[in-house]
Amino acid sequence: MKLMTTTGRGSAAVLTGALLIGSLAACGGGSSQAAAKADTSSLTLAIDSDSASFGYDPLRVSAAQRQFFEGLYDSLMTLQPDGSTGPGLAKEFSYNADNTVLTLTLKDDVTFTDGSKLDAALVKTNLDRRSDPALSAYSAVAKGGAQEITSVDVVSPTQVALTFAKPQPGFEKNLASTTGMIVGKNGVTDTASLGATPDGSGPYTLDPSTVKGNKYVLVKNDKSADASEYAYKKVVFSVVMDPQARANALVSGQADVAMLTSNTVDFAKSKGVGVTQIGGTVNTMISFDKTGKTAPAFGQEKVRQAIQYAINRQALVDALHKGDIPAWNALPKDSAGFTKDLETKFAYNPDKAKALLAEAGYPNGFEFTIIAGAQTQTDLQAVQKDLAAVGITMNVKMAASTDEAFAAVATTPLGYAPLNWDNPVGVMYGAILNGFTNVQKATDDQLSAATGELAAAKDDAAVKAAATKLNTRLVESGWMIPLYEALTNQGYNTKKVSPVKFAGTNAYPLLSSYTPAS
Amino acid sequence: MEVTMALFITKRLLMALATVLVVAVLAFLLVHAMPGSPGAVSLGAGASQDAIDEVNQRLGWNDPLFTQFFTWLGSAVHGDLGVSLIDGRSVSADLASRLPVTASLAAGATILSAVLGIALGVTAAVRGGVLDQLIGGFVGLLVALPAFWVGIIFVYLFAVQSSVFPATGYVPFEVSPQDWALSLALPVITLAVGGAAFIARQTRASMLEALQQEHIRTLRATATPTWKILYVHALRYASLPIVAGIALQFIGLFGGSVIAEQLFAMPGLGQAVQSSVSTHDAPAVQGVVVIATVVVVAVNLVLELATKFLDPKLRAS
Repeated sequence: MKLMTTTGRGSAAVLTGALLIGSLAACGGGSSQAAAKADTSSLTLAIDSDSASFGYDPLRVSAAQRQFFEGLYDSLMTLQPDGSTGPGLAKEFSYNADNTVLTLTLKDDVTFTDGSKLDAALVKTNLDRRSDPALSAYSAVAKGGAQEITSVDVVSPTQVALTFAKPQPGFEKNLASTTGMIVGKNGVTDTASLGATPDGSGPYTLDPSTVKGNKYVLVKNDKSADASEYAYKKVVFSVVMDPQARANALVSGQADVAMLTSNTVDFAKSKGVGVTQIGGTVNTMISFDKTGKTAPAFGQEKVRQAIQYAINRQALVDALHKGDIPAWNALPKDSAGFTKDLETKFAYNPDKAKALLAEAGYPNGFEFTIIAGAQTQTDLQAVQKDLAAVGITMNVKMAASTDEAFAAVATTPLGYAPLNWDNPVGVMYGAILNGFTNVQKATDDQLSAATGELAAAKDDAAVKAAATKLNTRLVESGWMIPLYEALTNQGYNTKKVSPVKFAGTNAYPLLSSYTPAS
Repeated sequence: MEVTMALFITKRLLMALATVLVVAVLAFLLVHAMPGSPGAVSLGAGASQDAIDEVNQRLGWNDPLFTQFFTWLGSAVHGDLGVSLIDGRSVSADLASRLPVTASLAAGATILSAVLGIALGVTAAVRGGVLDQLIGGFVGLLVALPAFWVGIIFVYLFAVQSSVFPATGYVPFEVSPQDWALSLALPVITLAVGGAAFIARQTRASMLEALQQEHIRTLRATATPTWKILYVHALRYASLPIVAGIALQFIGLFGGSVIAEQLFAMPGLGQAVQSSVSTHDAPAVQGVVVIATVVVVAVNLVLELATKFLDPKLRAS
């Protein structure tokens, strides 16, 4: 007996296939963006690196991990949604007359996961770890740092005083990041225990379903008074290192929020997810040697300016950093000192570069070596071609060791690094004028003056004027040869999460800022 | 006959044990040759020498190498591979949670590639002509496709465009067998593509040789059903290199699953290796090396036994 014709069997096969796919889609559909419901039970963030690769000591990481550690630990001060600094574990603070002593008044009802309570002695024990160079969060406040704390003293059980090597007005801002995070008594006494077990007072605690290096599951901490400010009962940090995989996870519903690279933004948007962007990090070539010690040509400003003209930034971005912004300004586009003038003044002009080289006495160019790392090699090869076109031979050498990469500031004339200008005065004093990028101790009166003006500026107009001067001089002098500004992108499921907001210019939104879509 | 087989198995078991032991010694010595001590790694660069010495003392780092090795071996035999220098967690527990992920990936991909590869290889060898050429071309294409690229395409088609499968993540079997299967589908297919092509080539060549054999011709002459000739007699004759190929696939996939683990964000052994090497976590590295060796040695042992079973001449020797 023939039950079906050939056509009938074919149709049945197609129908069965469709039903099978339909049923499978239904199985996975609970996670698809289209079917997602706005709720507060759980939030999954797809992140680009292992937040706790060194365990749960917040002092072993830097600002880039603040968002994750914000769930587990409270800071002495807090970053506010508008980017300003507000109270945290310290409910009040005050400076002495010459800004060399900062006194913090602590909350008195804070309990850590080990059961210990917050007091001035615990804060002192935490901050006294600052001599440990392994603690990234304390690198600036340790001995010899730009904002060195010379002593921490217990004034009373709820008051602690920080004494600085030199006046530090506005230091409280540092305490709103990982630097200000306080570890409970057990954790700070037995720091090795923080490798596996966090000991904080934050709004969340670590759930046992955490899989190290893959997903970190945080659940609400009932003992935290601030937990109610966080919308979600459970937050999962899912480590997805591959950028395309992160975008896929967001689009297909495995993640509610994802850190996106600029070249996956268009793809994500085309699939209907929301994307919030912020700039702030300028990838810049930095003239290490402005005195000509390692390469005589670099001692001349005209040579450094010739390099500015020789680089085709738009081509670099089009080829290697689609979605990011070519940069002629040393400061980012959202900073007060940003000026469009530099974009035209130093527009790509190889003829002008050649002319400047000739004026400086290098009509046939010159040769130098730059040290590259795995992240910077491709960019440097693009720059290498542009420089070769005007007669400059830049040899790109891969760093054989970390030591060689660090030593490059003293042995080579030019370097390349991403610079975050969240705190321009700090960057100038800490890295450019007096810091490690100026081993040859070059000076520039205009730069010093502009930095001083910016530090002293009291209102927005004064800040803008000083920052513009600083930015312009950094580029004109060739101390900075900016290439492009990288955008930080947060993609989010519009059906489940409200538009992501950044706290001021901070590249990592506050964990408390994620809320369900209304 | 049974005595010969028992002797063979005993010999092979002893060889396997010796191999694992040699690798364990090498891993142990390599870890000791690395710069720095466990105390320095676990406490960080700024730790005081006293604190580092105290940790080293506690971990037995200052004991003679022999003592350290046999202490470690004694614990390892009882399933204790030490603790991570970075987070103090049990290495055995960490690897035990990761092993099912990598094993599921490798086993799933091996089975799928074997089924597809044998089907394609047998069809090409038996049908010949245009179909053989078409399959040859198709298999050549599969071999040339990088697994990473294949994975991206599959994710785009079946996770991003249609939400049939999840794009990332791994669901343990005990949590939900159905979600476990769904979470494995794309990475397994990704890994199986290249393996299927390899096995198809192997199968085609072996089947062509098998079909030329006298006993196959005799079977054809005696009107034995074609399926029986092909899948019972010819395939069995051709199976030795195919089984070897499948075993090699499993070993390769077990080690190479790091690509799929990265692309699909799965917490397997590949991810553990990446993490422990980057943080200089010596006990964790040592643990992964030993576990991977045990798996490879075990697969080789099974392969040898299977070979012995499949080949009457070897079985009799």
